[in-house]
Amino acid sequence: MQPNDLYYEERNPSPLQQAWLDFYAKPLARASLYTLCFLLFIALFGSWLAPFGANEQFSELLSLPPAWSNHGDLRFLLGTDSLGRDMLSRILHGARFTFGLPLLMVCMAALLGISAGVMVAMNVGVASSAVKHLLGVLFSIPSLLLALIIIAVIGPGLPNAALAIGLVFVPQFLLTTRNAIVEELGKDYVIASQLNGVSSRYLFVAVILPNIVKPLVTQFTLAFSAAILDIAALGFLGLGAQAPVPEWGAMLALSVEFAYNTPWVMALPGLALFITLISVNVMGETLRSTLQARMEH
Amino acid sequence: MIRIILRQFTVLALTLFVLTVLAFSLAFWFPGNAITNASGVLVTDIHYQAVATARAFDKNIISQYLAYMAHFFAFDWGVSLQDGASVWQEFKLRFPATLELSLLAMALALLLGPPLGILAAMHHNKPIDQIITFFSLSGYSIPVFWMAQLSILIFAVALGWVPIAGQVNPLFDIPLVSGSILVDIWLAEQPYRGIALLNALQHMILPVIVLATVPLVLLIRLTRNACVDVLRLNFVKGAYARGLSTPEVLFKHVIPNTMQEVTLHISTAFSLLITNTLIIEMIFSWPGLGRWLVRSIYERDYPVIQGVLLLLASLILLVNVATTIFHAWRFPRVRRELNAT
Repeated sequence: MQPNDLYYEERNPSPLQQAWLDFYAKPLARASLYTLCFLLFIALFGSWLAPFGANEQFSELLSLPPAWSNHGDLRFLLGTDSLGRDMLSRILHGARFTFGLPLLMVCMAALLGISAGVMVAMNVGVASSAVKHLLGVLFSIPSLLLALIIIAVIGPGLPNAALAIGLVFVPQFLLTTRNAIVEELGKDYVIASQLNGVSSRYLFVAVILPNIVKPLVTQFTLAFSAAILDIAALGFLGLGAQAPVPEWGAMLALSVEFAYNTPWVMALPGLALFITLISVNVMGETLRSTLQARMEH
Repeated sequence: MIRIILRQFTVLALTLFVLTVLAFSLAFWFPGNAITNASGVLVTDIHYQAVATARAFDKNIISQYLAYMAHFFAFDWGVSLQDGASVWQEFKLRFPATLELSLLAMALALLLGPPLGILAAMHHNKPIDQIITFFSLSGYSIPVFWMAQLSILIFAVALGWVPIAGQVNPLFDIPLVSGSILVDIWLAEQPYRGIALLNALQHMILPVIVLATVPLVLLIRLTRNACVDVLRLNFVKGAYARGLSTPEVLFKHVIPNTMQEVTLHISTAFSLLITNTLIIEMIFSWPGLGRWLVRSIYERDYPVIQGVLLLLASLILLVNVATTIFHAWRFPRVRRELNAT
C-alpha cells in the first residue's frame, strides 16, 4: 500500500494474510505455531539431531538425573532412563512416531474422506442417505474404541495402530464434508451458479469449496489432536508401539514402574505430549476463530 | 413428541442391528476358527460338534446370525479362551464396577462444568474467564494417562493422602456380589462397614477426579461458548430493560437457553468418558470392563473382545439416543428441526 492514498479504501487481506495477522496478534497462538513448526522439524530431522541412538545403552550410567541436578552429567541433558538410554535422544527420535505419524495418517484420511465425501454429496441420491445412516453409527462411537476394534482384528503393533487410526478418521471426514456440501447446495448463491450453467466440477472447486473450508479445517485440527492422543494412548496400553520404540506413549508406559525413583523418565515424554497437544489445540482454535470472523465479515 | 421417540427408536434399532452384525462378523475376521472365536470352545473339545450345531454353523450365514442372536439373548456369550470362565458371569461382575466409576465421574462433571462455564461467560474476557479458559484448554490437552500417573505420584506416593490403586483394602474381605464396590460393602454383613466404605471412597477419589476431567473441560468450553452467544441476543437486553435483576435474567432466560445447546453434547462427553475408562482402569487396577477389554486384546481372547466391544458400543449409542430424546422433550423448540430432517 502506498502511504499517500487519497481516498479511504477498505483493505481486505487474503485468507492467508488474515490468518497470519491473527496469529501475529495473539502471543499464545504465535507460540503454538512456532512450536508446531519446531515439532515438524524435529519429526523430520530429529534422528539426525539426536546425540545418541534411540536404543543406545550406557550401562554404567543408569537412571541418571537431568543435567541441571547435582548428580547430572552434561552429556545427558535430560538424564537417562532405567536402562541407561539418553532421554533427550529418545524424545527427539520419538517425535517422528508421536507427531509425524499421526500427521501423515490424518492427511491421508482427510484426502480419502474428503474426496469420498465430495463424491457422495455431489451425487445426492439413495446411496447418500444410506451412507449417512451407516456413518451415523460409526460416528457416535469414539475413535479410540473403533481403533481398538481394528487392532483386535489385525493384532497389536505400531504399523497396525497407525493403520487403525488412519481408517478411523476416514468416515468422520466423509461425513463432515458431505454435511457441509449438502448444507451449501441449498443456498441461493449455489443455485444461482447452477442456473448460470456451470459444470459440476467448477461448481465444486470455485463456488462451494471456498465456503466449506471452515468445517474442513476444524475437522482436520480436531482429528489431528485426537490422532496424536490415540496413538499415544495405544502405545501406553501396549497395543500400539512396542517396547523399544521411543514413542512417547510407550515411553510413559515403561516409566510406570520407575516413576517414584526417577520421576523425570515419566515427566519428560508426558510434558512433550502435553505441549504438542496444547499447540495443536490452540492453533485449531485460532484458525477456527479466524475463519469464523471471515465468514461473518 | 411421540413421532420423535418412534423415530429415535427406529434409528436405535437399526444401528443396534448394524452393531450386532458387526460383532457377529468379528468372529470371522479374527484369525483362527470362527466357531472357537465366537464361543470359546476349542476344536479339540468334546462339545465342539454340539456347539457348532447349536450355532448353526452347518447352515447358511443368516441362520448363523439368528443363532448368534439367540445365544446372545439367552446370555450364553461363550467362555473365555484364557480361563474358561463364562463371559456373561464375568461381565455381570465387571460392568457395575465400570458403571459406578463412570457415573460418579459424569455426575462430578455435570455438577461443576456448566456452572463454571456460565461463570466464565458472565465475566467474558476478564481474569476469571481467562483463568477458567486456560484451565479448560490445558485440561483438554493433557493426556489422561499422564495426568493419572502424575496424580498418583503426587497425591498417593509423595503426599500419601489416598491409596495408589485398587478398589478397597483386601483385608476388609468384602464378598463380591454385584461388582459395584459401594453396593457390595452395603450388602456385606460386617461390623466394619463404615470404615470399609470410607476406605473404598478414598480409593475412588483419584480415578473419579481424573476421569471427570475430560468431560468436565468439554462441558466448560461448550457452556461458556453457548452462554456467550446467548448473552449477545436481544432478549437478554430486553429482560434487563424490563428491570429484571441479574440473577433473574440469568436463571430465567440465560441458563435455560444455554443448556439447550449444552444438553445435546452430554452424549459426546459421555462417549469420551467411556474411552477414558479403558485407560483409567488400567492405571488404577480397577476391575472393570475397560481393563478386561485391553487385557483380552493382549491375550487374543476373542469371545471376550466380541462381547465387551458390542456392549460398550451399545451403551454409548443408548446414551446418545436417550440424550436426543431428553433434549427434544425438554426443549420443544428443537422438535420441529428434528421432525424436518
